[in-house]
Amino acid sequence: MRRLVVSIVWASAVAFGPGAAVAAPMGFKGSVMAMGDLGPNWRESWANYAFTARDAIGAGGLYMRSDDETKTRTLAEVNYTRLLRRWNLEDAQANVWLFAGIGSIHGNDFAGTKLAYAPGVQVDYETTRVYLAATARLYRATGLNHDFGSLRAGFSFYEVDYDEIQPWLVLEVRRMRGLSDKTEITPMLRLIHNRYFVELGVNNSRQARANFMYVF
Amino acid sequence: MNHSTRLLITAALAGIATSSFAATSVKASVNGMVCAFCAQGIEKRLSRLPATKAVYVDLKQKIVAVEAKDGQTLDSKTITAEITDAGYDVTKLETVEQSVAEIKATMKAKK
Repeated sequence: MRRLVVSIVWASAVAFGPGAAVAAPMGFKGSVMAMGDLGPNWRESWANYAFTARDAIGAGGLYMRSDDETKTRTLAEVNYTRLLRRWNLEDAQANVWLFAGIGSIHGNDFAGTKLAYAPGVQVDYETTRVYLAATARLYRATGLNHDFGSLRAGFSFYEVDYDEIQPWLVLEVRRMRGLSDKTEITPMLRLIHNRYFVELGVNNSRQARANFMYVF
Repeated sequence: MNHSTRLLITAALAGIATSSFAATSVKASVNGMVCAFCAQGIEKRLSRLPATKAVYVDLKQKIVAVEAKDGQTLDSKTITAEITDAGYDVTKLETVEQSVAEIKATMKAKK
């Protein structure tokens, strides 16, 4: 079973390629969106500006740590997000997102910084009751490979009006090369409101995680 | 001016006044609206229009309603463009003689 889960995650990583566990990685045209994905071994925060309905540019930082807590990586990047394709259906929405990031990465086991690049893809499908997403992102630099892949599936407990808080249960399975041999599995409580998006959970290593998004 | 004439003029003026202040809204059916956090762009963009008095979003029935300020007109093309820029598709657009509050009450009654 474990092998099957790992295979699925890596299949998505190869077929697709990002990091932050978000629903839509950019806001509406003219908006600024801030996002965060926070845990002991993975801390990512970034903000982007949507200059069209399909394009956003931003900047962010990512801290990664190995499971044994001996190795760390810190990435500072500028990134571009492109909504490649959107299907607006009567009761659902599906998207294909592309990511391109470039920046510098620093580690505690090598001197100086290296030029890093981070392309990626996300595909998602959502209704008012169901959410599915596969995301993958390559984190590469000379001598470094920290490719990342995740699968997310969730359901809402009930439908709500636009101005009410909607609770969801989301299960995320993710894996990263180079710093961890574990498949991280995190059940999360997601709260969606028309002004904010928050996810709180505890992973299979008993570490607390929190994600958030906010549009200005 | 006799009594009947006065009554007639009063009634006519009242009619004009009522029609002048009747609320007008644009009601749009929108595809892809499944998440309140993502759909906030529709509300924010439409609220910024100079002629907008109020906006109502109904996720379940996929309806967005925009009420015009008194004496002002909402342009259908602009409404469609704003919803499109928020990331969604308009499938139907109609102008109704109802306020957003009235549309909201009607929608809630349907649930």
